[in-house]
Amino acid sequence: MGVPRIPIASRKHLLNIGLCLVLIWGMYDAIKGPDLVSDLRDFTGRYGAYLLLISLLFTPLSQRFNWVKRHLSMRRNIGVWGFIYATMHLLIWITLEFYYDWQLMLDEIAGNLFILLGILAFILLTPLAITSNHRAVKYFGYRKWQLLHTLTYVAVAAVIVHHFMAQKTAMFEPLFMGLVLILLLFWRYRHAR
Amino acid sequence: MPVKSSEITPEKVFKRRRTLIAAGLGVLAVPLLDKGYGLLQQKPDEVNELFPPVSTQPGTQSQPLKPTPYETVTGYNNYYEFGYNKDDPAKAAKTLMTSPWSVEIGGEGANKPGFYDIEEIKGEHAIENHVYRFRCVEAWSMVIPWNGIKLADIIDAAQPNSKAKFVRFTTLNDAQQMPNADWAGGPYVEGLTIEEAMNPLTLLATGIYDQPLEQQNGAPIRLVVPWKYGFKYAKSIVKIELVEQMPQNTWWLQNKREYGFYANVNPRFDHPRWTQATERVIGELGRKPTLLYNGYADEVGHMYPDLDNRLYFY
Repeated sequence: MGVPRIPIASRKHLLNIGLCLVLIWGMYDAIKGPDLVSDLRDFTGRYGAYLLLISLLFTPLSQRFNWVKRHLSMRRNIGVWGFIYATMHLLIWITLEFYYDWQLMLDEIAGNLFILLGILAFILLTPLAITSNHRAVKYFGYRKWQLLHTLTYVAVAAVIVHHFMAQKTAMFEPLFMGLVLILLLFWRYRHAR
Repeated sequence: MPVKSSEITPEKVFKRRRTLIAAGLGVLAVPLLDKGYGLLQQKPDEVNELFPPVSTQPGTQSQPLKPTPYETVTGYNNYYEFGYNKDDPAKAAKTLMTSPWSVEIGGEGANKPGFYDIEEIKGEHAIENHVYRFRCVEAWSMVIPWNGIKLADIIDAAQPNSKAKFVRFTTLNDAQQMPNADWAGGPYVEGLTIEEAMNPLTLLATGIYDQPLEQQNGAPIRLVVPWKYGFKYAKSIVKIELVEQMPQNTWWLQNKREYGFYANVNPRFDHPRWTQATERVIGELGRKPTLLYNGYADEVGHMYPDLDNRLYFY
């Protein structure tokens, strides 16, 4: 075939550089726009959610497409980048949106399911990001490690409901994401035995 | 599947990757620091002066409000007929033809109905300048210097009778000119009680910053009710009716649990999904406390006898 053969490791570098460039593009776009804070907050949240959802799609798609199967190891990069975007989303909320006003933040969080779900997702994702390396897999043993990482499904479900609750209207995007997750879970259930 | 030796990353490259990522993050930080520094500069203590507590609220005209920059007011808009994103209207609304434009005044409550050209309306009534706070139900705010006519002048000219209990506003709904015209399944409708409509704060705006309204801001004529949430400010109005029945406004029809008819700003009544106690001033850092009736309690408080009635505040 005429396609140049780029080693998988280099492809991963390209992916990392690409997702870094997306972040830079998002920042420049936000700076150009009229409202830096909401643009940055929404950009990192939206793309973080997409990355996390895409990381979950790798397993089922790899059974169907060889092309995906060959890139299975990219799943980790995409998941970790999803976490990086989510971290920025949270930091933007704390710094730019609330300007370190912890009291106001607590008031906002209290009894507010929308914010609570976002925080829950971040808390669930943190240990997963920390254990996204070979050493952690060895330390836990693959079975236990894999069991821990099924938490991603809970985190992504929380992310999608969080996204849904943030919309005034135009629910298409979160509903679409929710449908993808439901199909994923259905597939997982059927292939679990 | 065995890994080919050609696929193993050389150790040098593997180590360099961290440097690359660090360099990338460094580059990311530069524009953010630059803009962030600019924002920090404009966050002095005067902010509290801008939003004094309700009890010490002076009259509307004497407040030292700092208007939001023109580029922000014309670049950050909710106008769903032109798309759902805040920057969609500024991009897509240029196709809206605002001249010629006529406004129909009618309804069973008007003894003198008629069609009026927009230039006629502007020519016959005094244009006033008012700097008002603007508070969106999405918990963000701006300060906008409006130019406009008192709605009361238009209503008086229509000679209201005893049937004029409410005012119903209908906005343009033209799929030829609006890419997302059908988002609500019909024209955008808003309403006020006749008392609210006659309040001297209520305007029909025709300009901002002494410039004619831009399409994304609701050209050529739009409603301004500064003590209510932004969705009450019907844009690009084509019909004003004096009616006996309470109008069914678009957002109420969209979601009756979350949006009501009165929609008066009140920090004590939260939206079902987010707090209304605070607001984010567009273009500034941090959040500010929201004021009862958006700071216009002295001017409008008398119209709402029950401060505990959610009916007035969602």
